[in-house]
Amino acid sequence: MSASESSTSPAITAHWKKFLAVGVVALLATWYFACEGLQHHNHRGALSLLIGALFWISLLIGTLMLTMITRLFDAGWAPIIRRAWEFLLPGLPVVLLLGVVPLAFSTSFRHLLWEWTDASHILPSGHAVGHDPILQAKSWFLNEKFFLARITFYTVFFGLLTFGLRKWSFAQDSDRNASYTHRLHALSAAGVPLSALTLTMLAFDCLMALSYHWFSTMYGVWFFALSIRLALAGTVIMTYRLSEGSWLSGLFNQAHRHVLGCLMLAFTVFWAYISFSQYFLIYTANIPEETFWYNIREFDPVTGAKSAWWGVSMVLIFGFFFLPFLSLLFYRSKIVKERILTIACLIIVGGIFDLWFNAVPRQVVDPSAPEGFTVSPFLTPYLALDLVAIVGFGALVIALFLRGASQQKTIPVHDPRILESIHYHE
Amino acid sequence: MNERNERIYGVACTFRRPSDVYHAAEKVRDAGWKYWDVHTPFPIHGLDQAMGLPRSPVPRLTLLGGVTGFITGCLLTWYMNSYDYPLIVGGKPYWSPIFPFPVLYECTILFAAFGTFFGQFIFNRLPRHHHPLFDLPQFARVSDDTFMVVLEARDPHFHVDDSRNFLQSLGGQEITVIRD
Repeated sequence: MSASESSTSPAITAHWKKFLAVGVVALLATWYFACEGLQHHNHRGALSLLIGALFWISLLIGTLMLTMITRLFDAGWAPIIRRAWEFLLPGLPVVLLLGVVPLAFSTSFRHLLWEWTDASHILPSGHAVGHDPILQAKSWFLNEKFFLARITFYTVFFGLLTFGLRKWSFAQDSDRNASYTHRLHALSAAGVPLSALTLTMLAFDCLMALSYHWFSTMYGVWFFALSIRLALAGTVIMTYRLSEGSWLSGLFNQAHRHVLGCLMLAFTVFWAYISFSQYFLIYTANIPEETFWYNIREFDPVTGAKSAWWGVSMVLIFGFFFLPFLSLLFYRSKIVKERILTIACLIIVGGIFDLWFNAVPRQVVDPSAPEGFTVSPFLTPYLALDLVAIVGFGALVIALFLRGASQQKTIPVHDPRILESIHYHE
Repeated sequence: MNERNERIYGVACTFRRPSDVYHAAEKVRDAGWKYWDVHTPFPIHGLDQAMGLPRSPVPRLTLLGGVTGFITGCLLTWYMNSYDYPLIVGGKPYWSPIFPFPVLYECTILFAAFGTFFGQFIFNRLPRHHHPLFDLPQFARVSDDTFMVVLEARDPHFHVDDSRNFLQSLGGQEITVIRD
């Protein structure tokens, strides 16, 4: 194992600077278009930046949860994969710092993206946000000071938690002391419920508050389900790459793939359950305060004809639920490398669609329109900018991952369960 | 088959260690046996591969049950709400896949569970109240500290003396002919 580590690890980790360069270029491009949109009062460029950041925040929060959950339950299969998760984790506070924090703290971007922060913003009804009774009722939560304090808290909290989880895990490599496993147990026991609350609030602030009249108590759970799905799909892709001539080759076996496949199946069902329940309750209750959110995602407010957003929701139902669900039911889809890799890629693409569906549609005030607003269209050139932002943040996360892998042991050789993990059997 | 074999269920052979029974299973598998079994006090990882067992066919009946349940749920809600007694509830359509979805997936789960439960009954040939192995005094120790390979008489490879010698060559301890 040490031979393969010394001979193969540098091959892949040496590329971290290239990823860093790609990330910097892509993010500069996204920031350029976001700033340019600022001059025309166009929020879509800034939204691209937010979508790119949220994709990785979601994936990394899922990774963080998986890291802690496998610690908490002493998962015997996990240690060889968990070290790779730990290399990913520093990306979480970095993406928050480079994406969400500047957007929230810059007054002009904040007013553009989070309309409720701009008291002079005119709503489709013709009233200003400052006089909106709905906002006034929610103002104990939706006020700028508390909002910025929360954004700061998310960054600090996730920064400290990922730092602690990594520090003690890496310390075990040199100390060979099992007490780190117990400490990480305790940290994870505290970290899981705290992270659950924090990610719920983060989903409220970064996504639900983009359309502040609307509310759903399911939203945090939906974000969690999406996060775990993205994290598992990312893990399948990552372990596929790492077991082809890198540090997991010869260690990552069929049983590990099977366990990841089973979790992917479980969370595909869980995501569908949560997303459908949210829709179903709003559909059944049929209250205008809630239904408008789904209405602008289904049809044109004036003609009533199905819009492109309806197509996106069909992609979510059939491409993001039924296709992965039905294919993951089969045992061989979970153990054959290429099949599980294909399904993981499908889930990544579906996750991007889910973020588009949740973040992009909004009522854009247009006094000339009969309803006073138009709905942001789906098919715009900004979709490409979204992808550039996702690539940009992703390249940064991968650069940090590779740099971490070049500095630490890629296999936690003194983890008490390392042998159990290497010999893991179905 | 001669007359003597008709009353014989098979030949049982005990082993002392998991590795012995594991390697014995590999040899029986390679000899091409179809009707035989291994009994152990605890699960031995990899024994299913050593025995050459295919995956259980039960999941197929689970899937069949699930699909049947989904279709049943669709027909049930369509027949009651849209065909037999059309009723407007909450301004929703008579039938759409949305409002009865809880019914559809509950039916899916119920019928999939039926498929699994009765599927394992069928493939395990249950219910069965007695088995010739229960007459064997050594069989009680299979739940304690003994491992056992049983070659069944209905296998075409079976012949009492040959099978006995075969098991002996595998390193078996106590070899017994089981009568039906």
